[in-house]
Amino acid sequence: MISDAEKKLLIRGTQVNYYFVCRTKLWLFSHHIQMEHESDIVELGKLLHDETYKREEKSLILDDLISADFVRKGKLLEVHEVKKSDKIEEAHFFQLLYYLYYLKKEKGIEEIRGFIDYPKLRKKKEIRLTPDNEKRLKKVLEDIDTVVRGDFPRPQKKSRICRSCAYLEFCWA
Amino acid sequence: MYVIIVYDVNVKRVNKVKAYLRKHLLWVQNSVFEGEITKSQLERIKKDLSTICNESEDSVIIYSFRTKKAMKKEVLGIEKSSISEII
Amino acid sequence: MTRKNYYILTDGILKRKENTLYFINKDGKRPLPIHSIYSIYAYSSLSISSQVVNLLSKEGIPIHFFNRYGFYSGSFYPRETLLSGDLVIKQAKHFIDNEKRLKLASDFVKGAIFNMKRVLSYYGLDNNMDTLLEDLKSCKKITEIMNVEGRARADYYKLLDEILPEGFRIGERTRRPPENMANALLSFGNSLLYSTIISEIYNTQLNPTISYLHEPFERRYSLALDISELFKPIIVDRLILYLIKKNMIDETDFEKDLNYSLLNENGKRKFVTEYDKRLKKTIKHRKIGRKVSYKRLIRLECYKLIKHLLGKEKYKPFISWW
Repeated sequence: MISDAEKKLLIRGTQVNYYFVCRTKLWLFSHHIQMEHESDIVELGKLLHDETYKREEKSLILDDLISADFVRKGKLLEVHEVKKSDKIEEAHFFQLLYYLYYLKKEKGIEEIRGFIDYPKLRKKKEIRLTPDNEKRLKKVLEDIDTVVRGDFPRPQKKSRICRSCAYLEFCWA
Repeated sequence: MYVIIVYDVNVKRVNKVKAYLRKHLLWVQNSVFEGEITKSQLERIKKDLSTICNESEDSVIIYSFRTKKAMKKEVLGIEKSSISEII
Repeated sequence: MTRKNYYILTDGILKRKENTLYFINKDGKRPLPIHSIYSIYAYSSLSISSQVVNLLSKEGIPIHFFNRYGFYSGSFYPRETLLSGDLVIKQAKHFIDNEKRLKLASDFVKGAIFNMKRVLSYYGLDNNMDTLLEDLKSCKKITEIMNVEGRARADYYKLLDEILPEGFRIGERTRRPPENMANALLSFGNSLLYSTIISEIYNTQLNPTISYLHEPFERRYSLALDISELFKPIIVDRLILYLIKKNMIDETDFEKDLNYSLLNENGKRKFVTEYDKRLKKTIKHRKIGRKVSYKRLIRLECYKLIKHLLGKEKYKPFISWW
């Protein structure tokens, strides 16, 4: 079962990610007008996670809608984010940063390291919650609240990322 | 995309494979299924079949086409099962 | 999207076994792959168990029932998983606020008239529907808008009669029961389209019971009635004209005993076959940059409506561009 705290973490994680991808998507997702369930790309993303990391320990942070994560326990707690491509690096960076921040704040876990894994690219990137990063993240969280509480930001201009977005038809119909 | 899946598996697993494929594809005749699916559905099927099957004993072959139109189908003799959506 | 509509016209039993469906009758049993089903249209006498209903609910598959005359009797609308309280409130607000309601109601009729014009011009029929579009602008009440819609449709049917062969003329529009072959086809097609739209609404966050042109009490899923006004000309009427013009349907497809006022099983089969082909037909959508099917166009209309309800992006009704 997903606990409420974890669910909250999950939703906020996706919000952080969407904030960097598209404000319209962030707003719609946050207002429960979600389209992910029909997207084949989202579905493939989920499968990628199951495939690549089936041998890893069960995830503490549960399957996300577009990303998927797992935790490995060693001397330090390792939090991993699995991504298909490094196209939206900033989004991935802050999403993971948010998880680290949340674990520290809400669960008191500080001995922790974050990794973004790109299995298809055989790449791995380490992320730490430095005071500076924490400050940047807090600013992002505040901005997210402002966007979500505000009016519906109508789709602005069709861009390249729209092509693979689950909200493509919604925005451009 | 459009796929045709044929299988030759140990008798112990035949029913399992058949029951599984019936949820996704249309039964055409013994050990043959076909149908239109998405990429992710195909990935899911491949993954699930590899759990059901034993790699050293069973064989599953998947033919895939970009669309149904890319494929030509002819039936000689009797058609074992209708695949029409109008019943 | 590759899930398909299934249309059941033969009597039988729908059964659940090994978590998929089977259709069983005297000729044998046929598995219906559960992951390949989008909606089921049940025209025959069909027995269903609660296990089937549970499975359909779990998979989010609506099933629409029609009586033996082909009239819509009801739907199994599965438990909703796409819910947005925020949107429901906005949907209601647009109903309560008279000006907002009028705008949407009039848009549906505007779209309907434009699409009727498209059908007429396809068959080279001159029309003066533009005056009706003018009348629409000055409507201050829902009943006035409804009145324009009624007049438009009456004019439209009258014009279509000019190109229809004698036995297939519409004459007066009669419903329950339809009094001739053309009316039988219209009733049958409109019920079918209504159900198709219910399935599309089910797959969005829209609430199907809050409508604008039709009163919410007219039918359970009155929003589907609103949206169907836009698509009737392009999907149903065009299909009927096609069937008649190509001599694909004739007297033998109707119940002789009932004065040819209802389709028989063979006729129904022909109709749904061609209807389904039409829903699958695709056209290029310039703004999306992809091909979309007629069925998908209905979904896109729901999305446009949602965007309007959320504010900012004004709703423009669907008008066929081909």
